[in-house]
Amino acid sequence: MLHTGTRHSRPLRSGAGWWAWLFQRLTGVALVGYLFLHIGVISTALAGEGTFDAVLRVLQRPVFVVLDLALLATVLYHTLNGIRVVLLDLGLGIRQQGGLFWGSVALTVVATAAATYFSLPLVFRG
Amino acid sequence: MARHPQGNPTVDPPQEAGRPVSSRAPGFWPWFLQRASGVLLVFLLAVHIWMGHFAGLGDVVAGRQGELVEFDIVRRRLAQALFLTVDFALLALVLYHGLNGMYTILLEWSVAARRRRAATAALWAVGVVAFIYGARALLAFVL
Repeated sequence: MLHTGTRHSRPLRSGAGWWAWLFQRLTGVALVGYLFLHIGVISTALAGEGTFDAVLRVLQRPVFVVLDLALLATVLYHTLNGIRVVLLDLGLGIRQQGGLFWGSVALTVVATAAATYFSLPLVFRG
Repeated sequence: MARHPQGNPTVDPPQEAGRPVSSRAPGFWPWFLQRASGVLLVFLLAVHIWMGHFAGLGDVVAGRQGELVEFDIVRRRLAQALFLTVDFALLALVLYHGLNGMYTILLEWSVAARRRRAATAALWAVGVVAFIYGARALLAFVL
């Protein structure tokens, strides 16, 4: 069955496949929310250079650097699990799908930790 | 139902036993374009995030630059045709990918699945308005 039924099927409510499916949707919805905020913030450029720089100075305070790192983790998970979904749709790695999910989670954690390390001077600057 | 053997990890890839079905199958294009836009976004977003958050990091930490993102820095970047093209492509692709993803979620929920055409029309309306809004913001740096 493709998209012809009354609704799409959901995965069985257990195991890595279900968690991957759930997190892909939660991160996706969060990223759409962020996208509209992002468009709104960049649109302050329409009010002139001074307004844009004033808004962006506030949004580059340490608390927003920490929020940016949370955003990065969200983007990374959605990207890595998205690559997993494309591979599975191509028929690749189907038996390793659980491992690919945990690999996506692990890579997200490692890359976010590295980005956090490099961002520390922005969080703790005077 | 083209289910993956272990827990159906993805939703309804329009293929049977690994063979893609016809591009005329219902749902083929939203499925295919979600993956194509996703793959493109991996590369474009990597450049976008690098330029906005890491490229000027050394200068900010060393005090040679006030902030990572300032109007003048963005203006100089968008004065280059390549960056302007990349940002317009990002705006269009990310809106398509995000709203098509919302469409997928709606179809997994039976109430909305019966109002497929209304959902499509509403999401396209949101996407077109957001694209115009975003395009105006980008052009504010170059005009």
